[in-house]
Parts: sequence; C-alpha cells; structure tokens
Amino acid sequence: MKAKFISILLVAVVLTSCAKEEMIVVSPNELHESVDKVTEIMIHDIFSPPVASRIFAYPNIAAYEIIALNNEKYNSLSGEINELKEIPKPENGTTINYQMAALIAHIDLSRRLVFSEDKIISFRDSLYMNWEDKNKALFTSSKNYGLLVAEHIAAWMDSDNYKQTRTMPKFTVDTDDATRWQPTPPAYMDGIEPHWSKIRAFTLVRPDQFKPVPPPAFSLDENSIFYKEVKEVYDISLDMVKKGDASDEVQIAQFWDCNPYVSVTKGHLMFATKKITPGAHWIGITKIAARKMSYDFDDTVYAYTKTSVAIADAFISCWDEKYRSNLIRPETVINQYIDENWKPVLQTPPFPEYTSGHSVVSGAASTVLTDIFGDNFSFDDDTETTYGLPIRTFSSFNSAADEAAISRMYGGIHYRAAVEVGVKQGRDLGAFVVSKLKMKNSVHSKPLK
Amino acid sequence: MNNYLVLLICFFFLISCGREGNELFENPTAEETGVLFKNRLEEKNDQNILDYLYFYNGGGVAVGDINNDGLPDIFFSGNQVKNQLYLNKGDLKFENITDQAGVSGNSTWNTGAVMGDVNGDGLLDIYVCAVVGINGFNGHNELYINNGDETFTERAAKYGLDYDSYSSTAAFLDYDLDGDLDVYLLNHAIHTQESYGKANLRNKRNYQTGDKLLRNDNGKFIDVSEEAGIFGGPNGYGLGISIADFNQDGYPDIYIGNDFHEDDYYYLNNGNGTFSESLKKYFGHTSRFSMGNDVSDINHDGWPDLISLDMLPEDEKVLKSSLGDDNIQSQNLRIEHLGYHYQFTRNMLQVNQKNGVFAETALMNGIAATDWSWSALFADYDQDGEQDLFISNGIPKRPNDLDYINFVSDEQIRKKISDTKLVDQQALDMMPSGAVHNYIFKGSKENDFIDKSGKWIVNDTLKSGASAFGDFDNDGDLDIVTNNINDRAMLYINKTNDNASYIKIKFQYESKNHFGIGTKVFVYTNGNLQYKELYTVRGFQASSEPIIHFGFGNSKVVDSLKIVWPNRTFQVLKNIATNQTLLIKPENNMPFDYKSLQPKAEKIFKLTQNNLGIDFNHIEDNYIDFNRQKLIPYQISDRGPAVALGDLNKDGKEDILFGGSKYFPPKFYIQNDSSYTEIKIPSLAKDSIKEDIAAVIADFNNDSQNDVVVGSGGADFYNQMKPLLDSYYIKFDTFFKPIPFPEYFENASVIRENDFDNDGDIDLFVGNNATSNDFGKIPPSYLLENENGIFKIVQDDTFDDVGMVTDAIWEDFDNDGLKDLIVVGEWMSPKFFKNFNGTFKQDMVAVENLIGLWQCIIPFDIDQDGDTDYLLGNWGTNTKFKASNEFPLRMYYSDFDTNGSTETIIAVEKRGKYYPIDDLSQLSGQMVSLRKEFTDYNSFAGKTIEEIIDVKTLNKAKLFELNELHSGYLKNNKGSYEFVSFPKTLQVAPLKSFLCFDFDSDGKDEVLVGGNYFGVKPFHGRFDSFSGALIKNEDTILLGDVLGLQFALKSVRHLNIIKLKSKVYLLVTMNNDKAQVYELAKK
Repeated sequence: MKAKFISILLVAVVLTSCAKEEMIVVSPNELHESVDKVTEIMIHDIFSPPVASRIFAYPNIAAYEIIALNNEKYNSLSGEINELKEIPKPENGTTINYQMAALIAHIDLSRRLVFSEDKIISFRDSLYMNWEDKNKALFTSSKNYGLLVAEHIAAWMDSDNYKQTRTMPKFTVDTDDATRWQPTPPAYMDGIEPHWSKIRAFTLVRPDQFKPVPPPAFSLDENSIFYKEVKEVYDISLDMVKKGDASDEVQIAQFWDCNPYVSVTKGHLMFATKKITPGAHWIGITKIAARKMSYDFDDTVYAYTKTSVAIADAFISCWDEKYRSNLIRPETVINQYIDENWKPVLQTPPFPEYTSGHSVVSGAASTVLTDIFGDNFSFDDDTETTYGLPIRTFSSFNSAADEAAISRMYGGIHYRAAVEVGVKQGRDLGAFVVSKLKMKNSVHSKPLK
Repeated sequence: MNNYLVLLICFFFLISCGREGNELFENPTAEETGVLFKNRLEEKNDQNILDYLYFYNGGGVAVGDINNDGLPDIFFSGNQVKNQLYLNKGDLKFENITDQAGVSGNSTWNTGAVMGDVNGDGLLDIYVCAVVGINGFNGHNELYINNGDETFTERAAKYGLDYDSYSSTAAFLDYDLDGDLDVYLLNHAIHTQESYGKANLRNKRNYQTGDKLLRNDNGKFIDVSEEAGIFGGPNGYGLGISIADFNQDGYPDIYIGNDFHEDDYYYLNNGNGTFSESLKKYFGHTSRFSMGNDVSDINHDGWPDLISLDMLPEDEKVLKSSLGDDNIQSQNLRIEHLGYHYQFTRNMLQVNQKNGVFAETALMNGIAATDWSWSALFADYDQDGEQDLFISNGIPKRPNDLDYINFVSDEQIRKKISDTKLVDQQALDMMPSGAVHNYIFKGSKENDFIDKSGKWIVNDTLKSGASAFGDFDNDGDLDIVTNNINDRAMLYINKTNDNASYIKIKFQYESKNHFGIGTKVFVYTNGNLQYKELYTVRGFQASSEPIIHFGFGNSKVVDSLKIVWPNRTFQVLKNIATNQTLLIKPENNMPFDYKSLQPKAEKIFKLTQNNLGIDFNHIEDNYIDFNRQKLIPYQISDRGPAVALGDLNKDGKEDILFGGSKYFPPKFYIQNDSSYTEIKIPSLAKDSIKEDIAAVIADFNNDSQNDVVVGSGGADFYNQMKPLLDSYYIKFDTFFKPIPFPEYFENASVIRENDFDNDGDIDLFVGNNATSNDFGKIPPSYLLENENGIFKIVQDDTFDDVGMVTDAIWEDFDNDGLKDLIVVGEWMSPKFFKNFNGTFKQDMVAVENLIGLWQCIIPFDIDQDGDTDYLLGNWGTNTKFKASNEFPLRMYYSDFDTNGSTETIIAVEKRGKYYPIDDLSQLSGQMVSLRKEFTDYNSFAGKTIEEIIDVKTLNKAKLFELNELHSGYLKNNKGSYEFVSFPKTLQVAPLKSFLCFDFDSDGKDEVLVGGNYFGVKPFHGRFDSFSGALIKNEDTILLGDVLGLQFALKSVRHLNIIKLKSKVYLLVTMNNDKAQVYELAKK
C-alpha cells in the first residue's frame, strides 16, 4: 500500500523533472572544485610527486579538448601532444553543454586515476543531481559525450607505459658506492619511480631532451666544488639554527616543503604528515591567477591544461636525470663525513638528489604561467593555508619559482647545483612547451558551432 | 516439546561455555582473594604515549614469602598508582598491608619490581625500579629492606641502588661467584630514534639509558659496567633480561632483549669479572622488537634454552593492518653498513646447541606469533614433565596500525600535537585496541608448543604485562599472577592438584645468598633429564617465587636429584618421592666438574689449518630478485656456486673447479703433492659474465683428457640473453677451447653425466630451475646425447615440463642393469624416469603427490634392509609456509594485472581459509590496481585470497599446490616407496646437500647433510641455524656441533670428498662464503 504510494510519488517527481529545461551555466568554480577534490584525494592516497603530476594532466587535457571543439579561441592539442588523437565529435543534432561535458570528462578521468574514488563520486553525484534536475535532456547528452571523450582519453592514457612501469624493477641500492644515493632516515624508503622517464611524455621528444650538465663530481676534497656545496648546505643549516624558526630561510623552506609523505615518530607513535606535492602547489597558483583574472570556464581549463602538461613533463625530465646521476643526498654525506647527528630542516624525500624536482617543476610552471598571465603578475599564495602554512606574496611567477628552488637548500635536501641547474632545466622546458603548444588562436578562424 | 528441546540445548551450551577456558587455571575474583591492585593508567597532558614511548609498558610484580610463613606474598608496582603489597593469609586470601609495610613508594612512575635478599638476612627485600627525569617523573629506584616484621625500610641510597634513570627492571645474580648477590640494572632509552645511527653507539656511556652491572662490595653496589664489558649506550632499549649459565661453565651469563633496532646482547661470563658480548657468534638472528624473555631447558639436554618475545600478530586482520617487516634493502643497509645483526619481528625460540650456534625454532614449534607480548614464563604447569609456556599479552592502543599511521593520525592529531601536546582522545580512539588475550602453550616431547589459550585459561581482554609464578595455595602446582593495565591484577590458580606429581625445592644456601640464587638442579626419572637453574627474575619487569618446580606425570619417585651449588659444589639425592616440597641445604657437597657437562668429544670432523691451500671464497653478486619479481617466494639468483672435481692437467690427480657468480670468473685449484694451488684458465675466465651453477669435468671426446661443461644461471639475465647459455670447453694439450653446445636459455641447476645410450661416451642430463623474470613458468630440462664429442639435444619432450629442477641422480632403481634417472625440484614431486635402452619414461607409481620444495636427493639404505632408499632435502618446517595434504601451500601464477608481466601469489592456509602471504603494500607494489580496490589497510586485512583477487581471475591462474615441507626419505618397501619425515632437528632449515661416505670408519656408510638458506625476504627471516648432521640410520642422527662441523650461519651448497696423498678430506662449498676443508679424525 505504502510502497505503491511512494512509487506513484516517484513517477510524479520524475515526470515533473523531465519536463524542466533550464539553462545550465558551468562556472570555473566547479572546475576549481573538481581540481581541488583531486588534490585532496591525492594527499589521502599518498601519490608521489611524479605520479601526482600525471593525475593532474590527463583530466585537464580531456576537458580542454572538449572546450576547444566549441571555442574558436582554442585549438585541439591532437597532433601536438604525443600520440593524442582527435577526440570523437558529438553526434550530429545533439545539443551539448560543452563546459558540462568537459567537467564530466575531467571528473571521470580523475576518478580513474586516484585510488579513493568515493569522495570524487559523491562530488560528481551532487553535480549530476543538480544538472539533471535543471535539464535532464541536456545533462544526459552532455554526460554521454563527456564520458565518451573520457573513454577516448583513457585509452590514450593507458598506452603511456605507466602500467608497465609499475612492475619494473625497484631501484637497487648499492651501499658500497660512496657517491650513490642511499635511502634516508627515518623511513629509509626505496627510491621512488626509478622508471618514470620511461613514461610517455606529453610534449618532450625524448626524456633527456633537457638533460642538464652533470652534477659536480663527488669528492671529499675540501677544495672540490662538490664538497664546498655540501659544506654550504651544512653551514646554511647551522646559520638557520642560530637565526631561529622565525627566520626567512626557515619560513621559505617550510612554505615550499610540498612533501606528500613525511614520516614522523613521536614517543611510541608513528604517523605521516602529508602535504600537497610541488606540482599541486603550482596547480594551486594557477587557480589563484585564474581567479584573480576572473577567467571564464574555458580560459581556466586552458590555463590548467598548459601548466599541468609542463609540470608533468618537468617531472619526466627531472626523474630522467635523477636516476642517471644517482647522486647522494646531503643528509647521507653530512651524517657520514661531517656531523653524525645532523638533520635537515625538511625530511629528505626518497629519491636521488640531482636535479631538484621542485626547482625543475617551478621553473617549468612559472614559465608557462608567465606566458599565460604575463610577467610581473603579483599574487598572494595561500595554497597551503589548510596545512597550517602562512600566505606569501610574490611579485611574479618567476620570483616564486626562484624562491621555491632556493628553499630546497634552506631545507637541507639539495645542493646549490641541483637548485640552480634544476630551475634552468625547468625554464628551458617551460619555454619549449610554450613554443610547441599552439593552443591559442591569434585569429579567430574557427567557425562557431 | 520442541521448545523444551531448544531449552535443553541452550542449557548444555551454557554449561559447556562455562567450562570453556578454565581447564587448568581458575581465576578467582578480586573480591574472593582480596587482591584489588589495579594499574590504572590515564593519558594526561604530560603523560601519554607521545611524551613517553613506554607509557603502556605497565608496572611490575614480584612474588615471594616476605614473612617466611610458607606462603608466597605478592608485591605490585604501579605507574600512576601507588605500589601495593599483599600478604598471603592462606586459602587464597590476601591482605593489603602496603601502608603498614611502608612500601607504597615515592617515585612518580614505577616499572619493574623484584624480590631478593639483598642483605643476606634470610628475608626477601624488594627492589622497585622507576623512570626518573622525564615528564616531571621524580624519585629513584627504591630498595625496601625487609625488617622481618612485615614492615620495610627504604634503603636504596645506603646500598648504592638509588638510581634515578630510565629503568625497566633489575635482576639479582652472583656474577663473580663471591657468594653475595650482585645486580644487573636494565635501563631503556626514551627517545625516538629517527635514524638508526651506527651500532657502535652502544660503546658510549649514558647514565640515564645505559644498563648497569652493579657489584656488591660488602653491601654497597658499585657500578662496574665499563670494566666488566657491559654496554651502556644511548641506544639500549632494554626490556628483557634473563640470567642463566648458557654455556654451562659455572658462571652466570646474561641475555638482554633490546627493543627497536638495537641488537639484543648476549653476555658470556669470562669468569674473571668481565663479560664478552657474543650475540653475533652464537645467534643467527634474534627478535626485533625484543620484549620480555625467559629461559628453561625445554629439550631435556641439561642446557638452558631461551625465548625472546616480539609482537608478531597471529590474527590475519591485525597482521595485515600492522606495520610489517623491513624491506630487504634497508635491512641490508642496517646490517652491512651500520653494524647491526639480523632481527626479525617474531618470537624467537633459541634452542641451546651446547656452545654452538643456538637453533632458532619458534616457527617450527608453534610459538612465533603471539601478538603484543610482554612476559614469557616457562614452567611445567600441567606437571607432565614438559615445559609449558605462559605469555602475557596486550596493549591499550596499537601505534603500529597502518591506517592510523598513514591516514588517520595525520588528519586527526597533527594540529593537536603541535599545539597542545595532547593526544586528542578522539584520535586515540581511532587507534585500534591491542587487547589480545594471554596465551598458554602446552609443551611436548618434540618441543612443539600446543596452543591451549581458551582451554587451559580463559581468553581474556586484559592488557597484561608483568607476570610471575608462585604456589599461592601451596598445593604443589604453579599459579600465576599478572599486573594489568586498567584492570585488576589477575590470579591464575592451577588446578592440576593430584592429577600429576611434582617436586618443589627451596634452598637454604650460604648466608649471603640465602635462597640459593644460581643453584642448578638436574633431576632424572627413567633416564629422562629435567634441568633448572634458580633465577627469580624472569618474564618481564617481575620476579617469581624463589623455588624450583618440576612435574613428573604419574611418577611416584624420581631416581636422582643432582644439586649444583653456585660455589661449584654438588650433592646428589636419590630415590626421592614426588609430591613434596624439599628444603635442601649444602650437605656432603663435593666439587663439581663442569667439564662433565660439556658434550663428549666425539668430533669426527676437524677443520684443516690451511684449508689445503683452497682459499676459495664465493662472492654472490648483489642482484636482488625481489627488486624485480617482488612477489616470488624465494630468490633464484643464489643457487651457486658450481663445484666439480676431476683431473684438469692430466697428472692423474683430482683438481677442483669452483663456479663464480655473475661477473666473477670460475676458479681452479690444481692438486700438488701436499696441497692445492690456484691456476688460471683464461678461456673459462673470459666467460665470467656467466653465473656458474653446475659443472662437470669429464672426458667427453674420448681423447683421454678431461673436458668441462658448465651450466649457467643467476636469474638476472633473461629471454635469449647469451650469458644464460651453458658452456662446453674441450681440453687440448695446454688449453681449453670453447666448443659449440646446444643453445637454450635457461637457469641451470644441475648437470649429471651418464652414458645413457650405452655407446661408450658420456651423455648428460641438464636440469633447469626457473625462468628469469617469469617465475612459475616451467623451463625445459634436457637430455644431451654425446655424438663424438658433440652434444645434441635429444628431441623428446619427456623433460620439457619436468619442473623447477634442483637435483638429479642416475640410479638403477628398477635393478635392470640400466641407470635410470630421478629428478627432484621445487613445486614438484620427485620424478622417477625409467631407462628403456636410452629412452625415458616416467614411472608414475613410484612417488605420487609428494610435492615439495625438494633441494637434493641421494640414494642410501637408511633402514638397513638391503634395498635402496632415497633421502630427500626439502624446505623444512621452520617457516611461515605451511603445507599438508588437506591444506597445501598454494602458488598462483598469472599475469594478474594484464600488463604483460606475470606474477606469483603465495597463499597459505589459516584456520581453513587461504590468505596471501604478502601484505597490501607488497601486493600493490606489483599490482597497483589493488590500491583502487583497497584504499586502506583495514579493508584489505583479514581478506582471503578469493576476496582479494576475484575467483574468475584466480581460476585463470596456474595453481601450484605443495603438500610436503618436511625433509625425509623415501623408504623402499620392496619396490614401493613410503615417505618418512626426518626428526625435527633436521627440519630447522632447507637441506641443500647430501654426501654418502664412511666418515667415522665404522665400516658402514653414513650420509652427511648440509643446509641453511638466506634468499628470502625479512618477512621469512633467515634459515641459518642448521649445523649439519650425520645420518647413520633411521634412528641415529648426530648433529653438526657435536661432530665438529661449522655449518651454522652458512649456506652449504656442496659436500665433496677429496683425496690428497691418499688421505681423504671433506670439502664444503658455501654460497657467498669461504669453502671449508675438514680432516676426518677417524681416518
């Protein structure tokens, strides 16, 4: 009896909702929210920085390819990004909200890429419900199209060798070689992603396309460049201890830590403090800039896409070098030869030293952002306030990148060469991405659909 | 009617439930006994697990008769609560006399409590340890001197025992045999070690954390740690202490269990006031997070054995959601570079081998995993003559829960910790409880411990720490008391009563050591020996009643009791009735000859001085299989080296070839008149990239000069890579020339020669073991036919899928005059192939379904009935693998994640269900898609293999099932074979090599056995404590230590007899170690 009544009610509701045909405007905020969601889940799932960079890139590209179909300002990336084929066109005669389809594709690919899908699904479902309620027909056609494109991008994504690299050999530690990277305290984790350079890049022709000069040769000779750089890291840290936690150096080191997994032991408790990755930090800066410029949905997708592609390739380029030079971390050298009890301000991340990942990524991202938003673009960086970090103000993307790079020396996890060469490696790569990807039309030649 | 039946059933159910769990011990309530002590523990602002890492270690308990009324009394020390002393009034009634006794204590935080007669007045005093100097913890260790009238006076300062450091507990012993009791003070570090630091940190001295040996100089305790060789560094996390004369030289030795990465310490008493720390020499590995430990002679050989507790969970759910073992690379770093010893997370049962390396058998004997274990107490609780084992257990919160570490803790407490230093209660609540029940095990003849938890004792939810035994009701059997966190102390009253007989012994020794601490008792009944030594400090933070207790089953009389006093004198009592308490004083005591305890010198083998010039040292290359194939059950890259004997220079003397590992050339030793000399053979050295696993020296081309065939392996090279090719070198007058050999790319394991086609030249069987990068794929093995010095593969598929071969023998098992072939290997049954004039057919009936990890085979008439039996080396049972006919060990082989590379998943049965042996991190390290299905550890933990990998996928995988892990022999019963397991002493490690010879010149052949294996992940530990054995017949097996063999801690691969100047020697080849040459003493 009761059941009957409810089903009648349901039918009624469905019928009424079917009838609705509201306009739906997908705002850039919903895209930001989707990106933030991914960032949040990545922290929970503990993705390493290179893997995180891949997770940002694919959903953005999917979204971009959809809006590029409909916005004469933008060109498809197919043919410009390695092995990316044109996405399928919507069927003739279907009406599609391209922003909605783009966001749906973005969410669906994000869902595929993270481990913990629940949070993304509940976010998605609340959007779906809202859209369906407003205009079911439009929602359905946009959704079908968005998922079709997601499928297309996923097939391309699956061929990037990521899956194969999961089962490739672990990095073999050779503790007999004094120059070589060794696992570092406190977790002594294996070197992460030793095969990252085997993953298909987005724009790079070869992973070593921006191969940096080799690092200064390992030497314990006090007059050698290497030793001087070791000593510099050590001396900076002693100086910072003197100046205290409020010093600029400590503040800068902490601000740019961006370590997704810091293992902490207190008493008998062990736990991980987790922050966003360097890539995620620059994605956050992209959001700040896009908001400041009141970018619309499509422009926001464009900014995210270009930046995330540069970041992803920066990791490939950097990791290629890391496991080529396999250089020992300052912590290991200093503990062994200078000060047994020395600890860096930041926890040493589990991979070889040269070049600095944060420097390369910051160099690349800042170059692309400068291209998009212009130089001397000042902004307040509040990306990590949720992790208890303050807001820092920068006069330009480049000055932020310079600070991010030098922060690794203050943090005691990199030598000068890794930072200086690294940021250059990143800027060169960023410039390459800017010149290679002809995303924006100077002339609006595309017919409107 | 129906209802009535249901009621009846319910009724019976209730009754049986009521009985469940107190078959041996009853727990009277606190109201009944009056023992109300409760170690109430509250997390406070400045006292919690963040500020003090041993916040949950609990208090102490000491049992002893403080008023000499014949009834043992109980003292409890408390952490945040005051100490309490309970006087035993008889009839299991206790009276709290703390206040009048004046022992409630003045320290903020008490830990271990022990009783001992410090001043030699015949009255038990109480020493209470404390943690002082952190978190506002005040006070000092307190010494309550017994005034003899049920009151005590605190005199720690007067005696020099008022240490204000981080003490765990203390033990009384007379280490210098000067007649008075000295003290070993066990301390612990309180800092969290973020980086390991080097092991030699222990050479530093630190007042707060370092252990101390305190010599009793006429009532004043003097710190002699440094001069005595006792470590006192900042790195000692001392939680366990056992005193025993481990090497039976009359001087008490000390075993210290250290938590975390610090090694345990094994102090052997030099007899001159100093100790030599000798852990690495006598222990292959130890527990890692060492907690309490205890000593007893569990195998009736008169030598003390040891258990050291750890925290390996038994329950699958807990196991898979807790932090697991080290990864192999950081283990290597810690051991090879920082100087620590091998430590693994599980209880370790170290069986004394009489001055040899202790044989560690906890897995084999069933007591490796008892979760968060604090105190171990060996005793014969059911008085059947075998040592049983009680283990106290539990922690309020598990800080090693992986979800807590990775997911919960960060989000919940990050801010709290930095801001308020207070652990948010909500966050603490998310840490899972570790309230695991106490365990009790029944001992048995073969040292197996049978879990009687829930039967002998009730499965509780207590967090029990310190525990002690005593005969509280004076009925002859041993009762137990535990100190519990946030619960009343628990009494376990033993109900053995008249069901079995006992003898209880109290000593009245010399005045300064009234209770006879250190006295030994050897008791014999019907040729059966039991042995005990009186040390009261055992278990964890506790001391037990100063008595010796034995059980004797239903014996009414024991044949003899030998008492050996600390002053190295002894007396013997004969024909003593059981079921009585003896008070024994030194009477008619005679000097005791400690040499008589040492094993009778029957050493058949004696290491030669110079190894006859054979200085071969095999170095295994540093390839780690698990870096590439993360889930395989064991390495396949460490199967070398090859050894072959034969005359290489045509002088009529036998020379030796040793294979090299990858990039190491093989080595050749040429026999001279009085020794061997290394020579170089360039053509073979050129192929040093190959890892030489098997080799044969023989004249293959019938030119009266020996040639060489080498089988390559090493598992690093794969597919069609050239270094996998086997090699053939023909000897010309002055050189060896590489000659084409059949091309196949497999990891060789064995090459055996035989002219199977009877054409006058030597043919070969080449057995292959495993496929590089594709473990689980069966590599073909081959018969190679010799045609005028050129080898050809016999095109016959007989051996294509024979299995993962390890060894083979040519043997005429059907007595038809033709040598047949028997092949053994891993994940397969021994296979018998009948020789039909050069073609081979498997004899299917010989052995059926005896699938093991067979390592070696040898024909030997072990039952001396005239026909040939076959001895088979297997993996042994001292392992986390489990296999039986009912529940075989499973290995699934498939490309589970369809990425083009295969993986193997090992699943082991627990309580009727199969679980993967690897945890989520390991499995998802190979199959990342699992992380999508199991986004936290809790969702994965406790899941069966079918719940983790869906059944459809599993069914697609190739399934290997293994039903036998025992080494043993195929007993030939008139042509049919029956598998008989070797005794347990041969199951402690994989057996890798056999050699048949008359070693002791008694006119009969024996088989010598070598073994041990290290190619497994830290999860499995190391199979390092097999000392070798000599098998004379079914009943007589002698172990290596007695024989003079030094096989323990090494992985033996080949045993050979070599003859030099008509004298025979034993050549022993190890993996990754130096070769050994033994003289045969009786030849």
